[in-house]
Amino acid sequence: MKLSEAGESRVNGYLFVLERSLVTSLPKDVARDAVREIDSHLRDRIAAANAIPDERTSLETILSALGSPQRVAQAYSLERSVDEAVGTGKVVAILRAVGHVALSGISGFFAALFLFIGYVIGAAFLILALLKPIFPNNVGFWVPDDPGSKAFDLAFRGGVGPGPWHEHLVGGYWVIPICLVVGFGLLFLSHRGARKFLGWWRRRHPSFAATARPAL
Amino acid sequence: MPLDTWQEQLRRGTLDLAILLTVSAGPRYGLAIIQHLEAFTDLVVTEGTIYPILGRLTREGLLDAYWVEDEGPHPRKYYRLTRPGSKRLSQMTSEWQAFSAKIDRLIHAASDGKERT
Repeated sequence: MKLSEAGESRVNGYLFVLERSLVTSLPKDVARDAVREIDSHLRDRIAAANAIPDERTSLETILSALGSPQRVAQAYSLERSVDEAVGTGKVVAILRAVGHVALSGISGFFAALFLFIGYVIGAAFLILALLKPIFPNNVGFWVPDDPGSKAFDLAFRGGVGPGPWHEHLVGGYWVIPICLVVGFGLLFLSHRGARKFLGWWRRRHPSFAATARPAL
Repeated sequence: MPLDTWQEQLRRGTLDLAILLTVSAGPRYGLAIIQHLEAFTDLVVTEGTIYPILGRLTREGLLDAYWVEDEGPHPRKYYRLTRPGSKRLSQMTSEWQAFSAKIDRLIHAASDGKERT
């Protein structure tokens, strides 16, 4: 089947969307190579097809068998980002891969949420360590004035005076090393957990891209 | 576990082996691999998602990829098995045959048991 101008536009549009979707998660040269390969696939399929009942229907059948450009791009991102994350262990690669896995299914979503909470709490402890020298009277253990209560918070409390909480601040600068140790510890554990999780995920889904659910 | 989830897991687990087997006879380009898989199996759900798997197998060093510019009306990217790929394929094939034989024995034992009762 030889494509008309409208058919060529449709194919070029598909490849354009694919490339735009790929460059958000892949290096440019890898994205270009992938688009070139998909283009070659389409040209072969089109050359072998008949324009029955018409060119548009035949072309849509070919594109639909290939999958939407977003789905193909998601499959590339999943395969590559998980590989890169497990292989290199870089923070950005791990976070990107966890994000992609979160979009691929319910269990991936909850695992990613759990890891995200670990990262956020770890980062919050580090922020408290940074804030303590700047706001020495606002960061520390906040203990209730009521002597019967055993609850306390490690937090930053803004404002002047005792505030509405009926709590007082306990903790000098020794809070800083505690926050640093706990913060870095949590970040380390979350990062290690994320890498292990992605390794497990890859073993469990050796070719997960082939059956990955399309992005929402 | 629903049947379709189980089938999906089976498909995922065997696709790497199926692709390595497909290129074991000689270099093939993406569409030729897909057509070969379609002729013998129903492993290909969406054609476009086979290419990322070919990319991963190439990054893992099991396949070697190269462009052929002057073969047809447009360039095609070919994949061929590397030496580590060949070794992995023979390991995976033996594993699969052993596994399949065990499941076959279980199925026969189960059907024999049914016949006796």
